This record gives sequence, C-alpha cells and structure tokens, in this order.
Amino acid sequence: MTALPLPPDPRPALTLAPLSFAARRSRVLGVVRRDFAALRRSPIRIFEILFWPTVELLLWGFVTLFLRTQRVPFVVAFLLGAVLLWQVLQKASNEISIAFLEDIWSRNLLNVQVSPLSSTEYLVGLVLFSLGKVVFAVAVMAGLAYALYGFGVTSLGVGLVPFMGVLLLLGWSLGLVGIAAVLRFGENAQVIAWSLVFVVQPLAGIFYPVSVLPAPLQTVSWFLPASHVFEGMRTVMAGGAVPWDRLAWAGALDAGYLALTLALYAWALRYARRHGKLSRFGD
Amino acid sequence: MAILEATRLAKRFGPVTAVHDVSITVAEGEVAALLGPNGAGKSTTLHMLLGLITPDAGTITLFGMELARHRVEALSRVNFAASYVDLPGPLLVQEVIDVFARFYAVRRPKERVAEMIELLELGPLRRRRLMDLSSGQRTRVQLAKALVNAPRLLVLDEPTANLDPDAGDRIRGLLSRVARESGAAMLITSHNMREVERMCDRVHFMAEGRIVATGSAAELAGHYGAEDLEEVFLKVARG
Repeated sequence: MTALPLPPDPRPALTLAPLSFAARRSRVLGVVRRDFAALRRSPIRIFEILFWPTVELLLWGFVTLFLRTQRVPFVVAFLLGAVLLWQVLQKASNEISIAFLEDIWSRNLLNVQVSPLSSTEYLVGLVLFSLGKVVFAVAVMAGLAYALYGFGVTSLGVGLVPFMGVLLLLGWSLGLVGIAAVLRFGENAQVIAWSLVFVVQPLAGIFYPVSVLPAPLQTVSWFLPASHVFEGMRTVMAGGAVPWDRLAWAGALDAGYLALTLALYAWALRYARRHGKLSRFGD
Repeated sequence: MAILEATRLAKRFGPVTAVHDVSITVAEGEVAALLGPNGAGKSTTLHMLLGLITPDAGTITLFGMELARHRVEALSRVNFAASYVDLPGPLLVQEVIDVFARFYAVRRPKERVAEMIELLELGPLRRRRLMDLSSGQRTRVQLAKALVNAPRLLVLDEPTANLDPDAGDRIRGLLSRVARESGAAMLITSHNMREVERMCDRVHFMAEGRIVATGSAAELAGHYGAEDLEEVFLKVARG
C-alpha cells in the first residue's frame, strides 16, 4: 500500500522533529537518565556493583600473597591484573543485560517498545550507562588493589586502554546475545544472559596462559578477543612490549562479533514482534 | 480525516487465529472503543496498531504513514497506557514523567513535566517512588506518561481496570476532558460498558478475532434490540 503524504503536525512545536539529531540525543539520554535514576534510588544495586568484584579481588589478592611467599615470580601482578580486566568483561556483559531485564521485571517493556525510541537508540543508551558503571567499578577496584596489595593498574602501561576497549566490546556483544536469547525464548532464558560470559572464562586464558589448554581448545581460544588481551597483559607485565598485532586481531574479531550480535538482536526483535512475545513479557 | 487506518489485519499464533480480517479507522478527535469478551482479539489488535506485534496480513497507517516503514515518526504522535503494564518502580514520579518526555523528544521536558503533574494532580506525589503508590495513583502517573507528548492518538487498554469506582470515575472525567480540550483521538478497550457509553463516539465489537459490529452505543443498542451496551455485549459474547 502506498503511504499517503505526511500531513503537517498541527501542534505548536511541543516535540522535536522525530528524526532530528536533537530528538535522537534526547531519546538516548532518556535511557541513560532512567537507568541512572533507577540506580540512584536503589542503594542495594550500588552495593551489588561493588560487592562481587571486591570479593573476587580480595580472594585472588590473598591467593597471590600466599603464592608470593612460595616464591612464584610475577604472580601477584598477573592475577590482580587478570581480576581487574575480567571484571571489565563480566560487568560490560551483565550490566547491559540487566538494564534490559529490568524493563521486563518492572513490566515497563511495552512502554519502551511503543515509544519512538529506536532499537539503535535504546542500545546506545544501555551501552553508555553500562560504560559508566564499568568505569566506576573498575576505578574502585583499582584503588583497592593498590591500597591492599600495592598493585597499580598503570603497570599495564599504554596497553591498558586498548585492553579494556577490546573487553568492553566483547562484553557488550555477549550482553546482546543474552538479550536476544530472552527475546527469542522468553524470560526463562534470563539464565543465558547471566551466565554466557562465564563460558568465556575458562577458554580465554584469564588466570593462566592459553598454552595450558588442550590443543583443540587453544584453537577456540584464539578466536576469543579476550584471550589476546590476557596474553598481552602477561607479556606487558613480564616486561615485554604491548603486542599491537594481537590487539589488532582482537579488535577485528570484536568488530565481527559485534556486527553478528547486532544482527542477531535485530532478528530476535523481529521474531518477538512476529510471535507476539513482547506482549507477553511480565504476564 | 482518519489518523489511524488499519486494513484487513490478520494474526495467527500457531493454530490459533487471534485476529482475522479486521479493518478499523479512527478519525481526528474521535473516541472509539474496541470491545469484546476475553480472547476476542482486542489486545492483539491494539498491539498490532502500536507495532508491538507484526501482522501476518494487512496494513496499518498512522497519520498517513505506513507504520512498518515510519515507526519513529508515527509513534512519536501516539501514546499508550494499559492496566497490565507498569513503570519503573524505583523512580520518583517526576523522574518517570521526565524520562518519557525525553523518549518522546519533548522540547522543554521540565516545563512539560510540571504541566503533567498539575494536570494529573500529582503535586503531593512528585517526589514519591512509583513502587510506593496505590493503584489509582499509579494509573494517574501512567496517564501523565501517556499524555506527555500531547499525542494525537491515545491508545488505552482497560485503563480503569484496577481502580475503585471513585478513582475510575475521576480518570474517565479526566480522559473526557483531555479528548475535549486537546482534540486527541482515543482508542479504548474496556469491560466497563457504562464507561464506554459515557466516553466513546463509536464502538467496534470483536468476537473470535473479527469485528462483528460497529456503530455508536445507541445505534448498536437499536440494532441488537437491547436496552444498553451491556446487553449488546452479552448478546455478542453469547452469539
């Protein structure tokens, strides 16, 4: 059917032109403001952002202190660096999934989906807010690691920023897979959103070199951007140069995975609309 | 001029035909009702009109734009409230309205939030969290959210279902006032026939996924030889 020409909106300009940059910015910042307000009004969630990373930091910190007494070289820096970077990956993945799941838990998803907020704007808003939470959590943990164990995150040198960037992108891709799973399979798939990142953990050589994995798993591992980050981190901490070639490969993998997961998200949203699943969330 | 025009909509979920060959128009300023027994296909129809469900067949145009191709532009002039959806519980009332003002790209969100708070008499509640409000109070916040962009089409799915008679009456009064003063069109589902008689210019009755009757409340009562809409409803629902 041919669409009729759009009649002018007779209202005085209460709203911005829907496709203008200003309108898009308003909608993206609306997502960020909403998530920030929800966080600010829920002290338990602020506690939760810091609680598990701190527990993990303390656990691995004391393990490394013990290993140091056993004269295992570099192990303190390796493990604490790994814990900090692992948190970047885990938080990036979980925070984006949680922000989406909160719309389901609060039965607000329909309000969001019938608003002019586009999928891209929604995701950009979720990503921006998750970035803020990751930076906050990692900053607190880095301070604790320095105060308790004398580990300075700056020992990762100029590689720190690209290391974190690669992990953030991978975390967001994993978060998108979790959201897509919930859209496709319903609320019961929440467990995928929570746990997917832990599939990466044993394969990415976070706390040990990839070389300790069986050969077939090593092949899988090299296709994980995170493996290159953690191997690179150990290289830098052992006094080597930042392995830019590895980081470039990791970045290329990230770009490919992000493109795939965005396509997966778009497909899952179309599927949910086609099968009436959006209407049933929160029933 | 029709601001909403849906033509020959159909939707199946597996073996179940939820909506079959439904065509519906809503004119500028019209208050229309979509009525029918549970499972008649009302909510599925509304959700197709809002882009939440993709129809298997048929077309939907809003303000002359095909919804499937102009989703953002079309939805920026529409808004929605329903008894089965909620708003983020931890947020303050004023924060919720502000967030949706930004989703709908309102130019001066703070001023608009203040207007909505005054219109819905939410002043004493503005700094309370949604989760701490009663059903009636939350419904008023939902309506503030639904009116924040001054929609040209307001879709309301059983807006007074969770309210006591007094709160329901106040909401109906408010909606009638909004329709009268703003000229916004409304499409409402309800199981309260007196509500529909009071508010609506035109009624579409659905049964088993089809529209089986359309007209004003008085026309339908005459057509079915009934005293009021409630009797029409019973006759339609019982075949």
